[in-house]
Amino acid sequence: MSLMSQKNDDGKRSARAKMLEERAKQDAKARKVRQLAAIGVALAVIVVAVVVGILIQSNRSSGYDAAKDAPAGAVGNNKLLIPVGASNAPSTLTIYEDPRCPACESFESGMKTTVNQLLGQGKIQVQYHIASFIDRHDGGKGSKNGANALACAQNAGLFHDYHDVLYANQPQETDDAWANKTVLIGLAKQVPGLDTPTFESCVNDNSFGNWVTAVQSDFDKSGYTSTPTVLLNGTSAYPTYNNEQISPANLIKWVDAANKGKQPASIPSASAEALASPTAHNSPAPSPSGS
Amino acid sequence: MITAWISTAVRLALAVVWAWAGLAKVSDPEAAAQAVRVYRILPEALVKPIGYGMPFLEIALALLLLVGLGTRIAAIVSGLMLLVYIGAIASVWARGISIDCGCFGGGGAVAASRTAYWQEILRDCAFLLLAGWLAWRPRSRLSLDNWLNPLPAPSSP
Repeated sequence: MSLMSQKNDDGKRSARAKMLEERAKQDAKARKVRQLAAIGVALAVIVVAVVVGILIQSNRSSGYDAAKDAPAGAVGNNKLLIPVGASNAPSTLTIYEDPRCPACESFESGMKTTVNQLLGQGKIQVQYHIASFIDRHDGGKGSKNGANALACAQNAGLFHDYHDVLYANQPQETDDAWANKTVLIGLAKQVPGLDTPTFESCVNDNSFGNWVTAVQSDFDKSGYTSTPTVLLNGTSAYPTYNNEQISPANLIKWVDAANKGKQPASIPSASAEALASPTAHNSPAPSPSGS
Repeated sequence: MITAWISTAVRLALAVVWAWAGLAKVSDPEAAAQAVRVYRILPEALVKPIGYGMPFLEIALALLLLVGLGTRIAAIVSGLMLLVYIGAIASVWARGISIDCGCFGGGGAVAASRTAYWQEILRDCAFLLLAGWLAWRPRSRLSLDNWLNPLPAPSSP
């Protein structure tokens, strides 16, 4: 009897143990499934985020169409360059500038009289790349707004004048005064005929935003890493050219050497006058930003 | 028990790092692509997809770590990414290229005097320690993982 009962108890216990064991097994299995599900969901989140992200960003940044996004008169591959001066001038000065770049401002204040003089004499054509990467470095929108406003001025045929006005009134690099588009429009009043409703809506609507992005993207791929980058007929001329420091006298000398044996472009005297002395020429107005 | 709370703190700290890094790069895709391009490691065809996609990968990791879902796999992916970043920074340093790492937005070429490679690498190593801890001890309080598979209660037999 006692033996029987012992046996019975053993049987019960082992049955219970078996059941518990089974349940533990099932629990462990369920845990494993949930764990794998969590890993699967996590990986799916990562993959979906990356794929969707790439699609969103390429959608946002594609879509530059040179035929309709570039300002009138832009030249070069994809119409990313703004020309100033005679297209048949014997030398080309290529200038990469960012509207907010202080080194560009010092280049302009030191060299613009000379550059304008060479333009008026038909010795050079300048081709501007209006970069806008300072906004990335310092944060803000001033470079992009400024570049767009310059494109608006180009569209109105007044790029050269407005370009010189902007550099003569450039805010400190860390002061993003041109994030405020009314400041850019205010500066346009210094260029006779520029401040029209068309120009204002062009600035306010960021009408050449696609072009500005495309020009910067082109600069990114150019291998040049800073502004100003200045090329005389494709050879770097800033800060030096043939081991000589850039200066008004040297630039004239270099251009004359490059133009040796070639005729300068003949420019009607009125246009020559305008090229040599655009509106802002040597008359910086007080900065409206108050900085 | 304290380990699980430490893991919670580490998880949230890493989430903040990734969120900050990712959000800073999302607004300007061209800048993000340029930050990748200046390392001069990837061919041009891969620059844009990587530049565009990386911020979203970082934000996805931030979200996973924030809610604590798939913590271990998120920590492992975080660690791998950090190793890639450290390797890439060391590579530009060794090649004498002067750039900003673009880790938290920005990026691009800078003057040689403005590079900060060892600080950037040291910082990423600190983040790598966080990721390592989390891969080793992914169990944390206040996480979806914990909700799905609760930690055994301390008093249970």
